[in-house]
Amino acid sequence: MEILAVNDLTFTYPLCSSPALNNISFHLNSGEFTVLCGATGSGKSTLLRTLKRELTPLGDVSGKVIFCGKELSALDGRTSTASIGFVMQRPEQQIVTDKVWHELAFGLENLGVKSDEIYRRIAEMASYFGIGDWFDRDTAELSGGQKQLLNLASVLVMQPQLLILDEPTAQLDPIAAADFIATLKRLNQDFGLTIIMAEHRLEDVVPICDRLIVMENGSLIADSPPSDAVNTLKSRPDILCGMPAASRLYAKLSGSESCPLTVREGRSFIESNYGNTTRGFAQASYVHSDTAALEFRDVYFRYTRDGRDILDGLSFKVYSGEIFCILGGNGSGKTTALSAAAGLLRAYSGRITVLGKKLKDYKNRSLYRECLAMLPQDVQTVFLKNTVREELEECGAELSKLPYDISHLLDKHPYDLSGGEQQLAALAKVLAAKPKILLLDEPTKGLDAAAKLNMISVMQSLKEKGATIVTVTHDVELAAVCADRCAMFFGGKIVSIGTPKEFFSQSNFYTTAVSRMTRGYFDNIITVDDAAEICRINGRKEFYDAPDKK
Amino acid sequence: MRKFSEYNPIVVAVWFFSVTGVAMFCNYPILMAISLVGAVLFFTVRNGLSHGREHLFFWVLFAVLALANPLISHNGKTVLFVMNHNPVTLEALLYGVNSAAMIIGVLYWFRSFTQIMTSEKLLYLTGALSPKLSLVLSMALRFVPLFGRQSEKINNAQTAMGLYKDDNIIDDIKGRSRVFSVMVTWALENGIITADSMEARGFGTGRRTQLRHFGFRAGDIVLLIVTLLLLGVTAAAVGTDSLSIDFYPEINIKAPDILGISGILSYGALILLPLIIETEVRLKWKYLRSTI
Repeated sequence: MEILAVNDLTFTYPLCSSPALNNISFHLNSGEFTVLCGATGSGKSTLLRTLKRELTPLGDVSGKVIFCGKELSALDGRTSTASIGFVMQRPEQQIVTDKVWHELAFGLENLGVKSDEIYRRIAEMASYFGIGDWFDRDTAELSGGQKQLLNLASVLVMQPQLLILDEPTAQLDPIAAADFIATLKRLNQDFGLTIIMAEHRLEDVVPICDRLIVMENGSLIADSPPSDAVNTLKSRPDILCGMPAASRLYAKLSGSESCPLTVREGRSFIESNYGNTTRGFAQASYVHSDTAALEFRDVYFRYTRDGRDILDGLSFKVYSGEIFCILGGNGSGKTTALSAAAGLLRAYSGRITVLGKKLKDYKNRSLYRECLAMLPQDVQTVFLKNTVREELEECGAELSKLPYDISHLLDKHPYDLSGGEQQLAALAKVLAAKPKILLLDEPTKGLDAAAKLNMISVMQSLKEKGATIVTVTHDVELAAVCADRCAMFFGGKIVSIGTPKEFFSQSNFYTTAVSRMTRGYFDNIITVDDAAEICRINGRKEFYDAPDKK
Repeated sequence: MRKFSEYNPIVVAVWFFSVTGVAMFCNYPILMAISLVGAVLFFTVRNGLSHGREHLFFWVLFAVLALANPLISHNGKTVLFVMNHNPVTLEALLYGVNSAAMIIGVLYWFRSFTQIMTSEKLLYLTGALSPKLSLVLSMALRFVPLFGRQSEKINNAQTAMGLYKDDNIIDDIKGRSRVFSVMVTWALENGIITADSMEARGFGTGRRTQLRHFGFRAGDIVLLIVTLLLLGVTAAAVGTDSLSIDFYPEINIKAPDILGISGILSYGALILLPLIIETEVRLKWKYLRSTI
């Protein structure tokens, strides 16, 4: 049954010459799980917001949105509120009240539902989501993942028929994101809930969705089951860069049968099409400089006197001129370690040395002058002014010295930039102090695939200029591509360390999709590029020759 | 089988305002003494021997208030001694002690009140008056700490980027004021998202209800009635001047008549109510445990 139909929808923001949505038509069947993807600024959010009447932005609309046989604007307030649920990107800002139970009740309170009925529904929902344990807690105490689950639950208590999600996992770490997506899948399977979700972290959602809609510049360029959609977009690397690793590999090798989406399918695609006579590349041993830019020696730190040690005898060395990636789960102390290195937290025991000088000996904040700088996780905290230009002038940043170009952003308000642009503008500000050591906390969080690739190239060019970069990240793909050495953080210390090739081929769980796909068949292959290369070297198994890929 | 603090917030609030109301609108020394002793007892029963600093603060304040009056007011017949050509009188001293007992007693009550009335109970109370007011309060309770945390984050980010050039106070203040100004922008910006989220969940579509997190049980009603009865007797005694005292020019305390005595006894009983409840709960638990 058709639940939503969009016919020739065109939308133009006020004072804009070109429409943000251009003649869009598609329909959603009841029980379908649809993923909407496309680069930042392609109109995903605008499209999703026009599907929810309360959130439709101001502007010229033409065309029709029909929900359950009725035009959206003709629905009465209660139906339109309750039947269409909407979850946004930022977990923190969507929360309205201070207690978890009150947040769950909020929507139903607005609809004037009786107290007993509210209780019954939120009790049910809390049990389904396993929220029971934190039902009475303050919303502020929850982790990002819990907050987003709460946002989802407090929309679902209103029993929507259609659930719209606008990049709900962008601000979550991969484990919380996978958890969130698994919950969506369960809702879709158990209750036949119709879901449409904009997302740029596609690795996890594409394999489970029924349909993939791809947008570009306000128009749909693909609308079909995911493997077909990838197939039609094979020649568009800029769009494919966010797809699952198996699909990217398939596109790079111009495979012909149906497109693999999961690690399992990717594995069988490789094994059935390519031999493994050459199992790996000869590895150059890693050469690093002899001087340590940053050194931790037996560092201990705790937040409160009675608390546990967050840094528990942490020791490691970062050599100058390398990119050092620290990976690890949530709450393992990665960000704390970075803050300690930046002198924001004081360790109670142990020694931190920056460029051969003890951290304590940097008097009068000289540490932050041409020595060390940190880009925090929430980049919004970097901005203080009304335009990017003022921001850069304030700290004396010179545009010409940057390894990237942000001159087109100068007159915008920093909060109006997209995630990727914000990251670059913030980085420009941080780089103004000409740091020799750059500390980055989750530099790819919330970025789409293209912005992520851009970030990687920025990091590499900074390295070429001689900067030492220490980055804390959840993003294994980032670490695999650009790190010189990776370290696994667990329980307040570093438990394993090595070059990406050693590091990721040793670990089983905390590793890249490509490494999982090629394990046991090839050796030490961790990136899509490497995998494509080795497949080409081995050649196709079939009796016909593979087309030349040069 | 509930502790006093677990009774319905409305009942607890009525009890608190009865106790403090009587203490504030009357100056009869025996009632003041009952209120002060009861308040200290209630606070220590709930908290044990901790909060030493608060006790110290309250008693220093008591001494200051009690002694300030005779130094400022020189009314009264009985001159104790003369200081700087000003007489210090017995009446003024006693008046000072009496009002200090009233103020410190009420302060102790309110300290216990804030401990018992968690944000949830306050919301329940305001929700009974107006669901909208309650929502605003709930949002404020979330937002104020959020604001604090975010400005701390911004401050740290700016420090690690070298916003503060030198380690001195002027630079610190400059930096802090810049952080504050961006916090306003941040608050507005994030307010838009919160507003969207509220709108999407139907805020303003019609009359709001409020989820009642606390129910009325038989015990609540009994406690409410008892409280109101005892309050009624005390108020009658105070209101009909059965319990009155004049400090100036000399102390003139009327011997309480029957209404006055029952007023004193009711007030004493009113203050003992929670202590009785707590003791009963403890004994019951002990008994239950011994039978297991």
